[in-house]
Amino acid sequence: MKPLNLIALILFLAGATWALTRSESVVREIQVAYFKVIGPTLTVGSALETKARALLEETRHSKELETKLSAIEGEIGRLRILESRYDDLERENNELRHALDFKKATNFDVVAAQIIRRHPTTWWQTMEIDAGEDQGIGIQLSVLSNDGLVGIIDRPFKNRSSVLLITDEKCQVSVRVEGSPEVGILSGQRGRFDNNPTLRLRFLSKDAALRPGQRVFTTGRGGIFQPNILVGNIISVEKGPLDSEALVAPAVNLSDLGTVFVVLSETN
Amino acid sequence: MLRYNLSTVLLLLAAFLVQQFVPAFMGLSHSRILIVHLVFLCAAVTVATPTMLLLAFIGGTLWDAHCSLAPITADPEVYTQPIESLRFGYSILLFAAMGFLMQGLKPIFRQGKWQFSALLTGVAIFLYLSAEFILISFVRGDFTVTRSIIRLLFYTSLLTMLFSPLVFWLLYKLANLFDYSLYPEANKPKRK
Repeated sequence: MKPLNLIALILFLAGATWALTRSESVVREIQVAYFKVIGPTLTVGSALETKARALLEETRHSKELETKLSAIEGEIGRLRILESRYDDLERENNELRHALDFKKATNFDVVAAQIIRRHPTTWWQTMEIDAGEDQGIGIQLSVLSNDGLVGIIDRPFKNRSSVLLITDEKCQVSVRVEGSPEVGILSGQRGRFDNNPTLRLRFLSKDAALRPGQRVFTTGRGGIFQPNILVGNIISVEKGPLDSEALVAPAVNLSDLGTVFVVLSETN
Repeated sequence: MLRYNLSTVLLLLAAFLVQQFVPAFMGLSHSRILIVHLVFLCAAVTVATPTMLLLAFIGGTLWDAHCSLAPITADPEVYTQPIESLRFGYSILLFAAMGFLMQGLKPIFRQGKWQFSALLTGVAIFLYLSAEFILISFVRGDFTVTRSIIRLLFYTSLLTMLFSPLVFWLLYKLANLFDYSLYPEANKPKRK
């Protein structure tokens, strides 16, 4: 080996060892600096991603409409397009009303945020929202939608935060099953990149008498999630020699989220 | 040569910015085009080992800054089996390993046959992601390979590899700009 290559290799290994032995606070400082530099690009990138997604949605809708138009001619087709547009607006209106009601009815002090990016990393199930430390968001706060639990804040930055979704293996939630004494730990499953991912509910009793459709709520134990937040519904139960496990469908459609709420604190 | 090396570092930094604009393809098992990795792999075959290691260090550090998750601190009495994450900095070693793999084809690349290196970028991305998945499984236990993981590895490698001619073309232009020859063996007369 050439002397120059040997020196470079030694320096490289020293650098890699330095990086691998950094504490969590130093890693966070590095991340803050990194996102500070790429922040403006990230904003533009997120806006473009949103537009691209909207365009794809629009294309999909256009194809559906095209099929309908081939069957119906002229005026009926035109009216159907108008009707579908009206439906979209009505749905959007209902969604916003629902979100407003949720914010009023909830017992939590929450901050509303929009999703700006989905799945920015390869292996982790995460997304980014447009609210951060400036809005009072800190690490490990619960993130909800009007349908139930979405995940927890992984890393808050100045004006944006990354959210670890409940479909990620690392996001564990202590839960109870409605109408039964069963409690367990719910988490995502590794390597499930389907459009409808399921969650795995572990540590149930050996003879857990559960049936599909039963709702799963947070227990509030463990110091992260507030109690009685809907997480999902039981799909199936597998009984083992020592304990049982269940598959749970998330209550929230994570592929179709717009507004989420970060729980800052519980109010009376 | 120094100016070309510096330009590859700048290109790698630019790739981090471009990567922000590339969303995951949800219909293809969340696969994505890994621009950062692609630029690193293509640059790795055109530079000497010390520069490749510098690129691996910069690329790996920034990639981990981009991706790594925070540890979750919860009540250990409730969450008895916490799920570990990979340590910050592991990507540096993976980048270097893939860089050395790319440099294995350097003699052929220097003859002007960049096509083999372009194919190798796809293989390198596949190996990189596989190694990452194996590391995650090693840290967390329970090694299970699902169909969606295979699809993610395959589509990500394929989609990324398709862009390698573009990156090689960019590197070729940069090399011309800074009077650096990417294919020094190609112009030499063949021995009889």
